Amino acid sequence: MNATERVEVRGHIVDSLILAKVLDIILEAGGDYRIVEFDVGRTSTDPSRAIIEVEAPDAATLDAIVDELAVHGANRAHQHDASTAAAEVDGVLPEGFYSTTNLPTQVRLNGRWVDVENPEMDCALVLRPDGRVRTEPMHRVKAGDPVVVGREGVRAQPLSRPRGANPFEFMASEVSSEKPKDLLVAQVADRLRAAKATGGKVLAVCGPAVVHTGASPHVARLVRNGWVDVLFAGNGFATHDIESHVLGTSLGVALSGQAPAEGGHANHLRVINEVRRAGSIAAAVESGWLTAGTMYECVTHGVPFVLGGSLRDDGPLPDVYTDVVEAADAMRALLPGVTVALMLASTLHAIATGNLLPAGVETYCVDINQAVVTKLADRGSHQALGIVTDVGLFLHTLADHLLPASPDG
Amino acid sequence: MAEGALTWGRRLLMCPPEHFGVLYEINPWMHQEVAVDLDRARAQWDQLVAALTAAGAEVEVMGAQPGLPDLVFTANAGLVNGRRFVPSRFRHPQRQGEVPHFRAWFEAHGYDVVELPEGVSHEGAGDALPFGRAILSGYRFRSDAAAHTALSDLLAVPVRPIELADPRYYHLDLTFCPLDGRRALVAPEAWDTYGRRVVEALVPEPFALQPEETAAFCANSVVVGTNVVMPTCPPRVGRQLEAWGFAVAEVDVGEFQKAGGACRCLTLALDVDLP
Repeated sequence: MNATERVEVRGHIVDSLILAKVLDIILEAGGDYRIVEFDVGRTSTDPSRAIIEVEAPDAATLDAIVDELAVHGANRAHQHDASTAAAEVDGVLPEGFYSTTNLPTQVRLNGRWVDVENPEMDCALVLRPDGRVRTEPMHRVKAGDPVVVGREGVRAQPLSRPRGANPFEFMASEVSSEKPKDLLVAQVADRLRAAKATGGKVLAVCGPAVVHTGASPHVARLVRNGWVDVLFAGNGFATHDIESHVLGTSLGVALSGQAPAEGGHANHLRVINEVRRAGSIAAAVESGWLTAGTMYECVTHGVPFVLGGSLRDDGPLPDVYTDVVEAADAMRALLPGVTVALMLASTLHAIATGNLLPAGVETYCVDINQAVVTKLADRGSHQALGIVTDVGLFLHTLADHLLPASPDG
Repeated sequence: MAEGALTWGRRLLMCPPEHFGVLYEINPWMHQEVAVDLDRARAQWDQLVAALTAAGAEVEVMGAQPGLPDLVFTANAGLVNGRRFVPSRFRHPQRQGEVPHFRAWFEAHGYDVVELPEGVSHEGAGDALPFGRAILSGYRFRSDAAAHTALSDLLAVPVRPIELADPRYYHLDLTFCPLDGRRALVAPEAWDTYGRRVVEALVPEPFALQPEETAAFCANSVVVGTNVVMPTCPPRVGRQLEAWGFAVAEVDVGEFQKAGGACRCLTLALDVDLP
């Protein structure tokens, strides 16, 4: 269904080509326009004023257009405070609720624009009694909570896309399969150093291929040396990581030599069984049964992790959140302070994490499959930069860049 | 004096670099690890004052303030037209503390100080330069397009917004330098296509800088009548300026370039009086 919104642009908009630019921006973004009012200044010093009705095929496109127009001085024609409606039932949003983006957002209350806390896409905006506005997922809204409805009085700020300053600019938002990899890895290493230097946290999201490609020891090195502050993964990654360090195989295949181990197909079940016997991964470390690997390093170095479950999980490991809503909440709780996210050969967890991240978090998606990166961007994580390469080689090189003199590689 | 020489630029406000330094990074030129040599900065600033005075300008000096390293860049104080002064609204909190000092100076010197509305950023003469009867004003990195209507109302002049497209040239005065009524140094690659067309339509005789000339801050020059005080003058630029009848004085302001500013950024014209 088409969505429309009126914007007003004032000033010397004709000679300065601002009007032409505004109209071009609307058309280029797939929208259409109708000039509803147009007062042309009578002399060269008189300002002109135009009210333009912007039409777009859907609300998201319209929002994107209106946000971009604001950069060029064209604002919503009537600016009012945001409206709210009380949620009637726990976990159910009122009719017409404002659905959030992951962009920095402001809500107009009593004539002032208030920054929304913790931007996250596909959530609601809830007013707090102290005047703050929080982004809340649907399930956390309580009956009686004032929830922002409609788009009046809400504005999302498009991330500025500086041209040229960012060393990654030459590959901005595009999947790079034909770029010199070592240069990219060196630049990711630089971004991690910059993040850590300013007190930012690094999040790693790991898929099972990290272990299959033999890269688990490199993630473990990064964790051990303080380069990873938060880890998200699924049952698969944790299981294979533990299996590879306890039994030397990953899904039954020996990591040294790549030969299937005798009876190896059940190795991962044996591992899960042992951890379940211990009660948790931490208990398995405590007992001396698990002595190396990424999960071991997380436990011994106090790096928090969330293992999100799925229907396909064997076991699963006792640490796995089998309730997906609880898993997402546990992930949310660890996101404040994260400024860089590394998505490492993980499709489902990368997208799930992308859904929770504010648009301002630098996100590098490393996968041998170009489709994963595209998928992430298609779901709204437009800030994700893709590096198409073998995750094993990537992590080995990254760890060497960050820990060049490390004797324990 | 050349016909159509600039009617402004003979009275300038400057602030000595007593507390100057690169203490934060709010543009791509700034790197905190690059140390500023304060003695050299002071010597360069004195040489700039001497060159401007020799060119025929009168320099007014305001006091430096501890904790405000960028106060030296007086171009960003605000905008003057006649006896009216519109103080800047800085985008970055690091520079917002400069506003009361600039405002106090202008109030003490009898200017009518009028404020931009809240909620919009504009960084004064750093982003807005008169040409002919209009003001060209850059936006995106430091100034908001939404400020232009208010500026036009407050100063009673037409304002032509130019979108800046390269974060290295975060202020218009790094990309545009009016020379007289017909001529200007311009850096079209730093603007979007609409901005280029606006400048083409407005400036009868532009001299387009090469990218390396722009990066050398050639456009960040101060024009006093037929004298151009520049941070550097590549031969190609110098030949054209001389052919147009300008005399060029080069002043090394390398210490200030570490913070992303050169000659123009260190001065604010107090005698702008647009018809």
